[in-house]
Amino acid sequence: MTDENKNTNKTGLPRKGFLAVAGSATGALIMLQAYKPTKASRNPSGAEPGAHKWGMVIDINLCIGCNYCTYACQAVNDLPVEMKYNKVTLEETKTGAEFYLSRPCMQCEHPPCVHVCPVGATFVRDDGIVTMDYDLCIGCRYCTVACPYDARVFNWKKHVEPNAFTPEYGHPEVERRPRGVMEKCNFCEHRIDSGLARGLVPGIDAAATPACVDVCPTGARVFGDLNNSESPVSKILASTKTPIRLREDLSTEPKVYYIPPQAEVTTSSEEEL
Amino acid sequence: MDNTIRIPKIRLGSREFDLFYIWFAVLSLGFAYGVVGAYQVLRYGLQVTGLTDQVPWGLWISIDLSSIALGGSAFVFGVIVYLLRLKRFEVVGRLAVLLGFLGYSTASLVLLFDLGQPLRFWHPAVFWQSHSLLWEITMCVILYLGILIAELLPIILEHPVFSEHTLIKNNNFFKKVSDFLRKLSHLLHKAGPALAVIGLSLSLLHQASLGATYGVLSGRGLWFSPTAPILFVTSAMGGGTALLFILSVFVFRVMRPGLVTDKTLYDVARIAGGMMLLCTYIRLWDWAVTNYYSFDNIVATQKELLNTIAPYSLAFWIGQILFSLIPGALLLSSKRVRNFKILTLAAVGPVICAIILRWTYNFSGLIASITYDPFTPSVQLNSYLPTWPEWAVGIGVISYWLLGFSLAARFLPFHSKEGSH
Repeated sequence: MTDENKNTNKTGLPRKGFLAVAGSATGALIMLQAYKPTKASRNPSGAEPGAHKWGMVIDINLCIGCNYCTYACQAVNDLPVEMKYNKVTLEETKTGAEFYLSRPCMQCEHPPCVHVCPVGATFVRDDGIVTMDYDLCIGCRYCTVACPYDARVFNWKKHVEPNAFTPEYGHPEVERRPRGVMEKCNFCEHRIDSGLARGLVPGIDAAATPACVDVCPTGARVFGDLNNSESPVSKILASTKTPIRLREDLSTEPKVYYIPPQAEVTTSSEEEL
Repeated sequence: MDNTIRIPKIRLGSREFDLFYIWFAVLSLGFAYGVVGAYQVLRYGLQVTGLTDQVPWGLWISIDLSSIALGGSAFVFGVIVYLLRLKRFEVVGRLAVLLGFLGYSTASLVLLFDLGQPLRFWHPAVFWQSHSLLWEITMCVILYLGILIAELLPIILEHPVFSEHTLIKNNNFFKKVSDFLRKLSHLLHKAGPALAVIGLSLSLLHQASLGATYGVLSGRGLWFSPTAPILFVTSAMGGGTALLFILSVFVFRVMRPGLVTDKTLYDVARIAGGMMLLCTYIRLWDWAVTNYYSFDNIVATQKELLNTIAPYSLAFWIGQILFSLIPGALLLSSKRVRNFKILTLAAVGPVICAIILRWTYNFSGLIASITYDPFTPSVQLNSYLPTWPEWAVGIGVISYWLLGFSLAARFLPFHSKEGSH
C-alpha cells in the first residue's frame, strides 16, 4: 500500500509540475502576442483605421528613364549605391515599342511578403503601407523569395560609406539599418507621418510626399489618398481609361497604378475592334 | 556490455589500424574547416556568401532541407516501436532516433548561419506570425528537437559510464547525479508513446510545410504546386528510412552481428522501398499535371531555360527512374533479393532522390525567375555560385553529422536493458 502510494507520488508529481510549467509558459507566450514591445506601429498618425489609403500612379508615357527617383530615394532613405528600393528598367510592349518601367514597392493589399514572414517583422499599416519592423526581422529572406516584384532588398553588409547621393538628390532622413535585416520602400512613411502631424497633405505638400514623387522632373509620379476622391491620385485614376497594375494575375492588389504607354493602348483598342 | 563490437580495421602488411581514429581525425579536420568558415560568416556577415537579392537561398538551405528529410526515419520508427508495438524494431528504432536528432540539429546549426541576425534565432518562438509556413516549421523543429532529445537521452544514459563508473561508487555527489539521471531516464522512457504521437504530428506538419514553403509562392511559377507538401513528406519517409537501412546494415550487421535479425532489416528495406515508390507515383502525376493537363507558357519557359544551364529534366528522369523506381522495387522485394550488398547499394538511390528533389526545388524557382513587366513577361536566369565560406560551413555541419554518427556507432548502447524487462 505505502509502496504504491509512494510510486504514484513519484511519477505523478513531476508530471503535474511539468504540465504546470509547460502550460504557464505557453500561456505567457500566447499573451505576449497581444503586446509586442517594438517601436513600429500599425497606426503612427493616430488617424481612424482606414481613413487613408496611400497610393501612387506612374504615367509610363511621361517617364524618361532618368533614374532620379532611384537616386532621391537612396539619398533620403540613406541607402548604399547597390541597394535600390526603386528600379528603372527598359521594357517592351507587345508591338516592340520600348518604354521605361520605374518600379517602387507595389504596397500590395494582399502582400505575399507579409503572409510569409515568420515573426511579423513586415506588416501592413492601417493606411495600407507595407512596412518593416527592423527590431523584429531575423533576416531569413523568405519575403524576398515570396515577392513577385523583386522589391525587397537585404542588408548583406554593414553600410559604412558616406551617402553617394547627398547633397545632389537630398539628405538622409532616417536611421541606417543594421546588417542582416531586410528592408523595402515604404512610401517614405516618415514624411507622411510627420507631415500629417503638422497638418500637411501628402501628395500635395512636398514635405509630406515621397521623395521619388517630389524629384520626378516630368511629373510622371503622382501620389495621394486613394480614399479621397479629391486627391491628385484619385483624380488622375478617374480620368484614365485603362490603368494597369503589375502581375494582376497573382491577386496581390497593388496600390501602385500605371498609365500604360500610348502604343499599347492603341494596339489593344484596335484588337478590340 | 553483453555484445562485442567489431570495429572496422585496415591491414597494412602485418599491422592493423583501427579505422575509427583515422576517420575521426579526418572528420575533425572537416569540422575545424567549418569553424573557420563560420567565423568568417559571423564576423563579416552574409556578404561573404554568393547569395544575392535574386537568389537569397542557396547551399545552406539545401543542406538544411536534405538533413531534415534524412532524419525522417525517426518519426516513422517512433510510431512503429511505440504505437504499433513491434518490439523487434526497437533496436533499429534507437538508431532512427539518433539519425533524427543528428538531422535536425544539423539543420538548426546551418540555419543559424543562414540568418542575417543569428542572435535573433529565438524570435519566431516569441513573436508569432501564425500565417507563415516558416513560423510553423520553426516551432515544429524546435519542439521536435526537444522530443528527439527526450527520446535520445535515455538511450545515452544507458551507457555503463553513467551508472558503473568508479567515481559514482566513491563520490556521494556523482552518486546523486547518477540516481537523478536514472529516474529521469525512466520517466522519459515511460513517456515514449506520448512522445511518439507528438513527434508524428509535428513531423508530418513540418515535413509537409517545408514543401509548402515553396508550394505557396504563386509568383514563382515552377514552385507553385499543391503537390509539393506530399512529395516532401513521402520522399523524407522513403529517403530517411533508406538511410536508416544503410546505416543499420553497417551498425548492426557489420559491427554488432546478431543484435538485429536479417528479417527485421529486410522489413526496414521494404518500408523504404514502399514509401519511395509511393513518392515516385505522386511525382509522376505531378509531372503530368504541370506538363500536360495544365500547360503554362511561363512554366515551360522556366524549364527550357533551366535545361540550358543544367540537366534539369534529365535530373528529374534520372532522379525518378534510376534513383527511385528501380531501387524502390528492389528494396520492396528485399525478401526475395536476400543480398545485403545489392540492397545497400539500392538504398543509396532513395537517399539521393530525396536530396535531388530538395536541391532542384530550392534552386529552380530562384534561378529561373519570372519578370514583372506588364506586357511581355519573360523568364530571366540568375546565377549563384557558393563561395568558400559557404562550402566550409557546409562541410563543417556535415562533418558534425558524421562525427555524431561515428561516435554513436561505437559507443551508443543499442542493446536495451530496460526494453527487455
